[in-house]
Parts: sequence; structure tokens; C-alpha cells
Amino acid sequence: MLLLLTLLPFAAAAVVAPLWSRAHRFAAGISVLVPLGTAVALLSLAPAVWRGEPLLEPHAWAPSVGVSLSFHLDGLSLLFSLLISGIGALVLLYSQGYLHGSPNLGRFCATLLFFMGSMLGVVLANNLVALFVFWELTSFSSYLLIGFESSRLKARNAALQALLVTGIGGLALLAGAVLLALAAGSYEITEVLAAGGLRQHALYLPILLLILGAAFTKSAQFPFHFWLPSAMEAPAPVSAYLHSATMVKAGVYLLARLNPALGGGAEWPLLLGLFGGATMLIGVVVAFFKNDLKQILAYSTIGVLGTLVLMIGVGTPDAFKAMAAYLLAHALYKGSLFLMSGAVDHETGTRDIGELSGLRRAMPLTAAVALIAAVSMAGLPPTLGFIGKELLYESANHAPAYAWLVTAALAVNGAILFAVAAMAGYKPFAGPLRSPKPPHEAPWTLWTAPGVAAVLGLVLGLAPRAAESAIRSAASAVAGAPVSVELSLFHGFNLPLLLTAAGVIVGGLLYIYRSRIAGLAPRSAPVTAGGVYDRLLAALVGFAALQTRWLQSGYLRAYLKIIILTAVLLGGYALLTRNAAAAALSVSDARFHELIVGGLILAGTIATVRARSRMISVAAVGAVGVGVSLIFVLFGAPDLAMTQLTIEALTVVLLVFVFHHLPDFSLKSRRPVRVLDVALCATAGVFMGALVLAAGAERPWPSISSYFTDNSRDLAGGRNVVNVILTDFRGLDTFGEITVLAIAGIGVYALLRLNMDEIRRREGARTAPSEAAIPAATTAPDRETP
Amino acid sequence: MPASLFPPYEDLLRILPEIVLTIAGTLVMVLEPALRPERKRLLGGIAIAGLLVALWGTAVANLFRGPAFHQMVVVDGFATFFRALVIVVGILAVLCSIHYLQRERPDSGEYYALVLFSVVGQSVMAAANELIMIFIGLEISSIATYVLAGYLRDDRRNNESAIKYFLLGSFATAFLLYGIAWIYGAAGTTNLVEIRRVLSTPELAPPRFLVGVSAALMFVGFAFKVSAAPFQVWAPDVYQGAPAPVTAFMSAGPKAAAFAIFLRVYMTAFEPISNRWEPVVWLSALATMFVGNFAALLQNNIKRLLAYSSIAHAGYVMVAVSAHSEIGTAAAMFYLAAYAFMNVGAFAVVTHFARQGEKYVDVDDLAGLGHRQPVTAALFSIFLLSLIGIPLTGGFFGKFYIFKAALEAKLYWLTVIGLLNSAVAAYYYLRILVVMYFHEPGEAAQTVSPVAPGVKIALWASAAGTLLLGIFPSVILDFADRSAALMK
Repeated sequence: MLLLLTLLPFAAAAVVAPLWSRAHRFAAGISVLVPLGTAVALLSLAPAVWRGEPLLEPHAWAPSVGVSLSFHLDGLSLLFSLLISGIGALVLLYSQGYLHGSPNLGRFCATLLFFMGSMLGVVLANNLVALFVFWELTSFSSYLLIGFESSRLKARNAALQALLVTGIGGLALLAGAVLLALAAGSYEITEVLAAGGLRQHALYLPILLLILGAAFTKSAQFPFHFWLPSAMEAPAPVSAYLHSATMVKAGVYLLARLNPALGGGAEWPLLLGLFGGATMLIGVVVAFFKNDLKQILAYSTIGVLGTLVLMIGVGTPDAFKAMAAYLLAHALYKGSLFLMSGAVDHETGTRDIGELSGLRRAMPLTAAVALIAAVSMAGLPPTLGFIGKELLYESANHAPAYAWLVTAALAVNGAILFAVAAMAGYKPFAGPLRSPKPPHEAPWTLWTAPGVAAVLGLVLGLAPRAAESAIRSAASAVAGAPVSVELSLFHGFNLPLLLTAAGVIVGGLLYIYRSRIAGLAPRSAPVTAGGVYDRLLAALVGFAALQTRWLQSGYLRAYLKIIILTAVLLGGYALLTRNAAAAALSVSDARFHELIVGGLILAGTIATVRARSRMISVAAVGAVGVGVSLIFVLFGAPDLAMTQLTIEALTVVLLVFVFHHLPDFSLKSRRPVRVLDVALCATAGVFMGALVLAAGAERPWPSISSYFTDNSRDLAGGRNVVNVILTDFRGLDTFGEITVLAIAGIGVYALLRLNMDEIRRREGARTAPSEAAIPAATTAPDRETP
Repeated sequence: MPASLFPPYEDLLRILPEIVLTIAGTLVMVLEPALRPERKRLLGGIAIAGLLVALWGTAVANLFRGPAFHQMVVVDGFATFFRALVIVVGILAVLCSIHYLQRERPDSGEYYALVLFSVVGQSVMAAANELIMIFIGLEISSIATYVLAGYLRDDRRNNESAIKYFLLGSFATAFLLYGIAWIYGAAGTTNLVEIRRVLSTPELAPPRFLVGVSAALMFVGFAFKVSAAPFQVWAPDVYQGAPAPVTAFMSAGPKAAAFAIFLRVYMTAFEPISNRWEPVVWLSALATMFVGNFAALLQNNIKRLLAYSSIAHAGYVMVAVSAHSEIGTAAAMFYLAAYAFMNVGAFAVVTHFARQGEKYVDVDDLAGLGHRQPVTAALFSIFLLSLIGIPLTGGFFGKFYIFKAALEAKLYWLTVIGLLNSAVAAYYYLRILVVMYFHEPGEAAQTVSPVAPGVKIALWASAAGTLLLGIFPSVILDFADRSAALMK
């Protein structure tokens, strides 16, 4: 059932978009009825959940990694999923009017449905990985929806910014989830919550920080809050649905969900209280100074998200109760205010409250809706917003630590929020009519949807018992233990009521003297989180440029150097771990002719490097090879010497032919580069030499030569041991060597023919020398000696 | 001791895929001169048929699990997995190539033979249980790929690509060979299981430094082949220069096979000294992710961008290797499979869109493809989302599995850095999506031709694979899990 409910919006999304062009009404019907049906289905499940019988529904997905598609419907999930489906239905209805006639409406509705499915998945999933999966899908659909008006660069940038911030948070969630599962022994959330003892686990702090990182980015907590105001580039229904009512509350949901496992202790209340409180005050203060209707609502949403986080941090059953009630109230009033702001924008062409007033004359229904919602936002009776705010004050007053500080912060927030509510829901509608273009009442879809939400906030305020079970079971799920809830409009004359009264007075004064206070505010903050984000992004690109220029020059020789250097470092490190010092190098027992040969090799090497022409270099390499062959002769390995000599000869011939095609040799690298090259080559040479010496000092296996001398007669029937080795013991080796030589010989012949052909051609047509055989290094125009 | 020169019947069945592929490759070579140019497409068909039969051969060989040819090769789940993977990559690459070769007109059949031989090499690598076999397999695969990289002989970019790949590749394999020589000298055997036995038996253990040096030298060779830092330098130049279908092939098949031998050697032979190589792999994984992702941020050439992205993905797999556990091995296997589909798919789009002479290979050229060819753009989006690691694609489960393995191996910092890196990566993949959907169609998108049938099949197959691994990961995951315990 839960699986079906989650997948249904996805299926609807897949159907709606292609269907739109053919059967527009039918598709529109589906896109409104699916969320509505989901809400009804959830409501039918609600009584059992409220009675304390949560629904658990496991489905296998990837059992070998502990990932399942299991779902869990308890009080908290139910509250969230009802909001998601209910407001979803309203928003989709509203969109039909808001984007009426737009060719992209089908795509828009499909994406909204896709988001709805993902968001339902987030709150219903009972598996940490499944939760992450849906979490990422909400970020992604938010990306698509913010950037919906893709022709505007600002919208595209805002979309990307939101995705990057919430995406990084999502990755933190993934890491946190895996660590949490490691610590708790299961990916199933119900089992994690039941595990116990997580606070004492060694991984507790990393888990906590990662989960908080995820929740804070998603729920726009300071200092990650900046993406939310930018996201207001999205069309109004998106702002109402994703960026105030549901998606931004996913972080709050995550904290509330994991509270029984991670909450308590010292870090949790401290971090949540600090960040939540800061976010609350920053949000509401900035909102007060904004003029754009949507910016006002966005910043006040940030403030409310901070309040909710703060409440989870307070951590008492009362606080959870307040959190659940306020969350519900906020979703209802803020959703309708956002939708209403869209209607105003739609009719007047502006969202600047400085340019708007008296709209009630032209748009009475919209004005009425806005006023009801604003009353709830201001926390005035008889609305759910009032009840929620009273509960906030009450629980703050009884907070286990810093009760006075929390209460004071909430009281300041309440006062400013009153002024902000007046700015958003009263200011544009009161006074004489002023508007850039003459407004008309919005079509019915544009005021019914916000109207339903606003009126619901009012009804629940008048009859709070109706919301009691929902809030009780949600608060109980957060607390991990049953919480008793009794909601009523009037609690007697107590501190909360006093604070409300004070808030109304102070807030009223703030609203009246707003223009004067706004004049005092600095034009722009010296350091903004958004600015830090921009600078970080620029630094990232700068670092990338630097690194790429440095590492990927395109020069073959640079690449070779990197390979040699690393190989020498790695091998050298391994070599240094040897206990004894490298075998002592002794020249004293070397015979005179050995020294001569050694000198020949050395001279050849130096000549190779110093030579000013390729041919001399090649000849010098040949000399080195001959020297090595001589060494083989001196140490009694004539067969090896023969092979070596033949190979050397062929190599020199091949090199001569190949180099013949290359352009003239020239020295192009600068002196410091050459010095470094010499140092690198010397290091490589020293490493190779040291390796051979060190290995020569070890003899892990007995020498094989005695085996040959002992057995050459018995096994192979020959007395000349060298011959026997060549033709019998190592017969296949010899065969291989012959083959290699033959192939090399054929290669030489082929090159010879090629050269002859070329000479003939050149004689035939006296043209410029051909460059056909040169690799055209587009990135490396200059070449050095190899 | 005299033994029958003819190997046992089971041994032959255990190398059935290699036999089939070699025959098919030879057949292509023999038929090539006999076919008229317009009939040469037939050779592509033979190649695909050969690869399909080889895939069947892999399944047959899997029924006869166990070592063959004096322990030189071994058929186990691991070998079967990688054999199937490289063969599938081969099929996809050939599908992309048929049209490409007709378009670029060097329509000669060696191309398909080279692909087949390269797959033979990779298949040998997958099943090799012995250092010499590993080296032979690697060289068979590499030499064929060197030639493929420069297949269009008159194209300067192809030439540069091939010569760089060849020179640097031979250089790095020389280190590998040198390392093999040293470990043979130290341990007295080239059999991986035997090396492990020698290294873990205190009385037999050779000097530690010798083992260390050989492990280090072999690391150079392997790291080069999987394009792990700091040996990744060749990859962008080579991938950019080579023909697009060859790049698709190179970035998936040989890389997977190289990881197969890397894992097998380090998880069996060098497992007793894992505490010494683990930090090196750790560092390399870190550097690989950074170099790949950060360099990709700046690229405008889509082949080069995907080259850097392929480096970054090698970095993620290196994270799995540094976990050096069975779950790490399984994670690497799963990731390589997911990566093969999404990457070959992405390169298939590039192959299709680039047009003759690979004219349109810049990210900006893709502007408006979403409007012109919505289906191609949608498939490309699936590959890009998978490369980012968005859920419901194979890339997501691959990443999840790797980071899970790393966390279980207590590689916390590496995981955190890996995750941050994948966030950086999202930035450059999304840029392609934005250009494709949100920009007005440019000249390149206006003139785009319908997708050729072969490329179309490759695209759909890759997309199906990507989504299958993302939605029903258990299909491959369970097999990888069971196969991760290598023969020891």
C-alpha cells in the first residue's frame, strides 16, 4: 500500500507529460486527482496510526548491501505525508491557472508529481539508503523546477546553486547513513532507533556532524541558507510547495526522525539550538528589510525552519509538540501566502510591496485569503498559528537549559514576525489602490487553492481538537515515547499570552516605523554566505586551471618524467626499507680489462647524452651495448653476449632508419629544465644501480648453475654445458630469441624498402622532404632528444 | 616426465571465450581482402556474432570452474564477471563503430579484428592466475588498442594519440615486466597463489625490500593501465585524439580488465604485504579523484571532459581497492560494470553527434539537442545522471557500494574526500545537461542526422544496462558478492 502510494505519483508523472498535448483536460485531471487520492488514502490509514499502530511494509531491493524499499507510516510520517499530498493537490490545482496556456504546463505538472513521489518516499522510507535515494530525487526535481524558466540565466544559476548545496548535503547524508548503519547494525530506521547506545558509540560525532550537514543544507539553516532566497526564481507554485511547505522541511524531518537515536547528550541540543536559533533570528530580521513579496516570504520561511530546528534541539516532549503544531500551521499559512503572492504578481506584474496597496478593492477574495493566512503567520487568535506560537513560548519557558535565552529569542522572533506578516498579508491590500497595471480578481484556481489552506488553518485554530491526534502521534514519534497533547485556543493568562501581547505591540510599532528603521540598515552585508559560495566556486575553478596547466601539459617528455619520478620514488621507498646498508661497492678487486670495459660503457653513455646529432647518439648507444656484451664475455656467458650483440646491431640499424625520418635535431629546453632533467635521470640511474646491488647481495634461492653442470650429461647427453643449455634446457628460450631476431630483421628490411621508395620518389619529383612519418604533435610543437 | 601434449578437455572449455574470439578475429582478417568495400560491413556482423558466441562461451566456461593449464588460468566467478564485461563492452563498441567506419571511410576490416584481439587479451587478463599470463594478456590487449587509437592514419589527432599511447604504454609495461622479474627472483614462482603462500610463510619469505620493490614496479604498470594518478597523464590526450568509438572501447574494456588483474595480483599475491601497499593505493585514489574531477571542470571538448571523468571514476574504483576487503572487491566489480554502460553510452552519443571528421565535439555544440533529438538527449541524460551518481542509475549503487566498503574499512577521510569529489563532478556533468536542454539549438544541433541503427542499439542497450543496475542492482551485486572471494 505504502509502496503503491509512493510509486503512484511517479507513474502519474510518466503518464501526464506525453498525454498533455493529446488530452489536456484528462492529464490535468490526473495531476490534481492523484495527490488528492493519495491524501484520502492516507487519511483512511490515519485512525490506526493515531491509535498507535504504525504501518510497516518491507520490500526487498538489494538485500546483499542491506538496502530495502521498506516503508513505515507512523505519526511523524503521516503528518508529513498528509501535508505533502494535501498541499500537492492544492498546488497542482493552482498551477492549472497560474501557467494557463503555457506550452510547458505538462512538463511542469509532471515534474511536480515526480517531486511529490520523491518527497513521499523521503518521509515514508524506513531504510536509510532508500531515504537517501528519495532525498536526492527531491533535490534533483527541485533543480528542474527552480530552473523551469530556463531561458533566464538567473533561474539556471539559482537552480544549480540549490542543487550543489543540497547535493553536497545529500552526500553527507549518504556517508552519515552508512556510518549510522555501521554503528547500529542495520539500515532499517526502526531498528536504528531501537538500537540504543548510539550516543556512546565511537562514531557518534562524525555521524552527528554528517547528518546535521545534510539536514542544515536541505532545511536552509545558517550558514547554508542562501540558496533558498535564490530559489525564489522558481514559479510561485514551486516556491509554495517545495520551498516552504515540504522539501525544505525534509531536513527538519530527518532531525525529528533520528531524534530518538541521536538526540539528547551534550552536542545535539547545543548544535541544534545554536544553528536553529541563529537561523531563526537572521531569517526573520532579513525578511523585515526586504521589499519583494517572495523574498519576504522566503526569509521568513528560513526563520521558521530555524525555529523548528531549535525546538528539536530543546528536546522536551513539549517542544516536540510545539514543533509539530507549528510545522502544520506554517505549511498551511506559508503555502497559501506564497500562492497568493503568485496571484498578485500574476495580476499586477510586480511583487514589490512598495509599489502595491489597496488591492482589496480589485481582488477582494485574494485579499481575504491573504489576510487569514497573515493572521495565522502573525500568531494571532483564533488560528492554528496562534496555538503553535503559544506552544513554542510555553515549551521555551520550560526548556531544560538556557530557558530565558530561548524564550527571549522566540519573543523577539515573534514580534518581528508579526511585522513581517503585516507586510506580506496586509500592506499590499490596505489603503488606496496602487499597482503598475490595473488588477482584476484572479481566476478561481488562483484563489481556491490558497483559500483552502488558509481556511484550514483558521478552522483548526477554532477547533484544535481535530488536529490533536495528528500532532500527538507526530510528537510521540519524535520523542520516541508517548506524548500527551491537549490543544486549546485559550490557556489562561500566562507568560505566553503576555509575550504574544508584547509581540503585537512591538511588532505593530516595527511595522508602522518600518521605512525609518529600514533606512538604518546597511545597504549590503560585508560578508554574505552567498558571496562566500561564489568565491568558493571561483577558487575551485582557479585551482582546477592551475592543476591542469601544471599536470597536463601535453608534452610527452613531461609525462615520461612523471612516470619515471613516481616509479623511482615508490621503488626507492621500498628499497630504503631494507635493513642492511646497500652492498658495499668495491672496485679494488676489479681487473684492469674490466675497468676498461666499464670505462667504455660510461663514455658511451656520456656521448649519447652529449651528442649534437641523432646519428652520433645512436652510435654511442651501440657502443654501450657492445660494452655490455663484452662484460658477458668476460664473465663467461658467450651465448648471452652473442644474443646481446645481435640485438644491439639490429637496434642500432632500426634506430638509424627511424631517426632518419625525424626533423633536424635541436636543443630547445631551457637550462634550468635541463638541470632538473639531469637530476631526475641521475636519481633514476642511482635507483636502478642500488636495486641491482642490493638484490645481488641477497640470494634467496640456490644458484641454478650446479644443476646444469650436474645434469647436462645425464639428462641431455651432452658434455658442452653451454650448448646443452642453449639447445636443450633453454631450447624454447633460444627458439624465442631466434623468432624475435627474425621479426626484427624483417622490420629492418621493411624500413629499408620504405627508404628506397622514398629516395626514388624524391628523385622523381624534387619536392620538399615528406613529413608523413612524423607524429603530428598538435600540443607539443618542439621536440628534444629522446 | 612425459605428459600428453594435448590438454585435457575441460581445460579447453575453460578458455572457450578466448578460442572463439581468436577464431572470429582471424576469420575477419582472412575475409577482409576478399570483400568489396561496400560489403565490409559484414565484418562488423561477424565480429558481433563472434562476441556473442564468446559470451555464451563464457557461460559455458563458468560451468567448469577451476584452474586450467597448470594453474596458469583459473575460471572463477571473478574471471567470468570480467570476461562477460569486456565482451559486452566489445559488442557495444563494435555497434558504435560500424557507422563510424562507413562515415570516416577507412573501411577496412582489420578494425574489427583488432577489437576482437583486444578483447581476447582482456579476457585472458580476467582469467589469468599467473604473472606471465597477465603480462601476455595485457600486451595482446594493449597492442591492439595502440593500433586502434591511431586507426585513421591520415588524421593528425589519431596519430598523436596512438604514438603517445604506444610510447608511454610500453614504457609503463616495461616497469610491470621488471617488477614481475623481481618477484620471480624473490619468490621463485610467477603463480599468484604460490607467491602468496611464499610471502606468508615466514621460513620461505624473501627479503621484504625485494617484494616491496617488485610490488612498487608492478603498481606503476597497473596504475598506468587503469589511468590512476600520477600515471593518468596519457589518458586525456589519447582519449581526445582517438576515434570516438575506440575511446568508448578503451575507456571501458581495457580499464576493467586492468582493474581485474590489479585486484587479483594485489588481493592474492601481494595480500600478505597489504599494509605496505594500501597507503600507496590510498594516496593514488585520492590524487586520481582530484586530478580527474578538477581538470574536467574546465574542459570544453567533450571527449577530453569524459576522459578526465573516466580518470575520476578510476579514482573511485581505487578507493574500493584500498579498502582491500572482499566487499571492496565486489564494489569495484559492480562499479566497473555500471561505469562501462554509462561511459560507453556517453561516448556513443559523442560518436553519433560528432559527424564526419569529428567536427562537433565541444560541449557548446550540444546546445539544443534536447529539442532536436529528445530521445537521444534523454538517453544521454541517463548516462550523465548515472555518472553523477543520481539514484535509480547504476552509478548511484556503484558509488554507494564503494563508499560503504571504504567506511567499513575505516577509510573515513578517503570517503569524505570522495564524496566531496562527486559533488564537484556533478557540476561539469550538469553543465552538459544545461547546454543540451536550456540553450537554443545551434548549428550543430540543427544539422544533426538521424541516429544510425548500430549506434541506436548501443545507446538503448547501455541505457537499459545503466537503469537495470540502478533499479535492480541485485542482479549483478549478488554475483559480484559471491565472486569477490578470489582463489587464494
